[in-house]
Amino acid sequence: MSRVTIPIGPQHPLLKEPMSFNITLEGENVIDSALRLGYVHRGIEKLAETRSFIQNITLFERVCGICSHIHTTTYCQAVEGLLELEVPRRAVYIRMLLCELERIHSHLLWMGVLAKNIGLNTVFMYSWRDREIVLDLMEEISGGRVSHAINTIGGVRKDLKEGQVQKLSEGLSVLSERVDELLRIVDNDRSFKARTQGIGFLSEEDVRRYCVVGPVARASGVDVDLRKNVPYACYDELSFKVVSMTEGDVWARSMVRIHETSEAIRLCEQIIEKLPEGEIAATAKRKVPAGEFISRSEAPRGEVVYFVKSDGSQTPARVKVRTPTLTALITLPRQLSGLQMADVSAVVAGVDLCIACADR
Amino acid sequence: MKKILDKIQTIFPLLPNIFSAFFSRPETENYPFEKTHIPARYRGRVSIREENCVGCSLCVLDCPANALALEKDSKNKFRLIHYRDRCTYCGQCEQSCRFDAIFMENEYIQPAYDRDAFFEILVDRDGE
Amino acid sequence: MLFHWVDRKLTAKFEGRIGPPWYQPLADVIKLFAKEDILPNGTNDLFASLLPLTSFATVLTAGFYIFGAFISTEFSFAGDFIVIVFLLSLPSLLFFLGGWTTSGVYSILGGNRSLLQYFSYEVLFLVALSGTSIASGSWSLSGIRSAQENGLPYIIPQLIGFVLAMAGLIGKLKRSPYDIPKAKSEMIVGPLTEYSGKRLALWQLTDYVQTIAGIALLAQCYFSGIWEVYSLPGIAISLVMMLGLQFALSMISAIFTRLRIDQLIDLNWRFFIPLSLFHNVLIIIL
Repeated sequence: MSRVTIPIGPQHPLLKEPMSFNITLEGENVIDSALRLGYVHRGIEKLAETRSFIQNITLFERVCGICSHIHTTTYCQAVEGLLELEVPRRAVYIRMLLCELERIHSHLLWMGVLAKNIGLNTVFMYSWRDREIVLDLMEEISGGRVSHAINTIGGVRKDLKEGQVQKLSEGLSVLSERVDELLRIVDNDRSFKARTQGIGFLSEEDVRRYCVVGPVARASGVDVDLRKNVPYACYDELSFKVVSMTEGDVWARSMVRIHETSEAIRLCEQIIEKLPEGEIAATAKRKVPAGEFISRSEAPRGEVVYFVKSDGSQTPARVKVRTPTLTALITLPRQLSGLQMADVSAVVAGVDLCIACADR
Repeated sequence: MKKILDKIQTIFPLLPNIFSAFFSRPETENYPFEKTHIPARYRGRVSIREENCVGCSLCVLDCPANALALEKDSKNKFRLIHYRDRCTYCGQCEQSCRFDAIFMENEYIQPAYDRDAFFEILVDRDGE
Repeated sequence: MLFHWVDRKLTAKFEGRIGPPWYQPLADVIKLFAKEDILPNGTNDLFASLLPLTSFATVLTAGFYIFGAFISTEFSFAGDFIVIVFLLSLPSLLFFLGGWTTSGVYSILGGNRSLLQYFSYEVLFLVALSGTSIASGSWSLSGIRSAQENGLPYIIPQLIGFVLAMAGLIGKLKRSPYDIPKAKSEMIVGPLTEYSGKRLALWQLTDYVQTIAGIALLAQCYFSGIWEVYSLPGIAISLVMMLGLQFALSMISAIFTRLRIDQLIDLNWRFFIPLSLFHNVLIIIL
């Protein structure tokens, strides 16, 4: 049989963001694929060297649309580490609340995208309907649905009022019912399992060799979660479970993500209960002393690392960002080999790509 | 009997959801014909309390998009200009202002047909 | 076209949204007719225009015969059952040929898959429907109807056959769960990727008319005989039956994921066809 090369090119209905990989098919089976990135590269790290530390908060929020709050949190943690500033506890708790809400948002969005790529339009619409609840909650607290702009060096900008706390509790209880429904569907539906089980397999040694992080690693048996291993920002005061499975295919990744969503809802409820009183921001100097700092956090897709180096002026000397999607992308050619053409869409959706993060 | 019900559940788990969605209110709104609810903290238009502004230019320094500009002649004669098309509506100016002058309202930004509509003079103080 | 609107509105309601207003399919077709026709270099222009026209013509003819048989008995002739099913199966072949003439990577691959699917599901449709004609002993639509007027409508003794014919119809119409050839996320639109303008409008119209013709055929073969069709309440009741079938089609589309091509073919040849053959044998015996 002859070989055909299909471009799953920069523009394709499968992908949310431009990325190109050329698949070589023989009959219906995929033999090879060649990855090309760089279509969304905006030079953010270089831009950051020309702006002050405060202006960079808004810049780093726009590295990614879905995990925007986590990027700013990690950046602010790095700068606060350089300044050796103590952030008030209420501010840390509000930051954690938004981090978990963002995790719920990201996983629900991903569920919709996977369902759409497989063909289940109904589940796509249902999970995005539930996502609207989270977006409305985030808009009440911070003022924007996707771009929150609530972090500042030294704390957060706006406080949680009494009426908002109540709306949060109501919204979270509705959400937890709906996520249980989603879990029931994914666990039971035979057609869903027929499309997602057994494909996109990554073994545990592959995960360790390619240094994959996030739910993709947790679905293959590698139990790594930064919130438990290296607790940052008061996560050691809250109790939650880390979910991991051993099958390593797309179905295992769906299960891991849905369980994580339930855990995130429970974490939000704990945060609201334990919210301490106090200030919401500490004043920060504009000139940051010279030094280097590395800060890490757990985004919905894995581990985000920020390295900030300052030389004593008002602008940073170097900021380096490492995002988790890059690690998962490198494994795509390996996951895709031997599959049928129709499975490509399920695998590509199952890895939960955020190319804007990977390209910066 | 339970086994049969379980088997049916594996093939048709979405069936009860479909019927409950069919009979309940739709989640989407007919936007241009029905307006939606905007929360109080929504970051909309940038506006100013004129009497508090002293022309210190903290907001101008901190704006990430260079959307604010201050033309200062003396302590009581300055103009604060806001370029609405460069602004990203991030709220950093509201955070940096120490005199509680510049703030954000929760109105949607209106589109316009020519660029001059986006050049907004926030404060025009004429003293000595 | 109204039936297509019913389908879209029902799908939207199942998903929890407000659907499009009633004039939406009409507006879409009008817009498509007004657009420019572009084809890739090197395609045979004559064929590319002829194919959608031919497929539209065949489904219109089939629909004409079906509705004619609804209205008056003298209209249908002996053997028209086979003719109608044959006419209804032509568009799928032309669909594949359409992809082949405008050769682009997506079109050819989508066309290959649709050919596979076509072979399997046409057979299923024919075998399942012939259960009714065997039971009534005639190959004409009016014969099938008059056989049902004396006894029970065929749905009750032949429930399995009805379900299988529905499955065959979904396969022919290329709706979810069998919409691999038109899978939006993978092959863009399959064979129709390179068409635009008037030709695309004709393909879409073919789709709408094929849906109605298929539903009407099913209603005729399984439900008729309960009423007197030549009068006004008869037409209303038959319309209600057809809407009910459309409801069932939309519901099934909403529940399942899109199956892979090998799973489709597997399901068909291992499960559906043996069941339908067994069912027909049962009918012959009883």
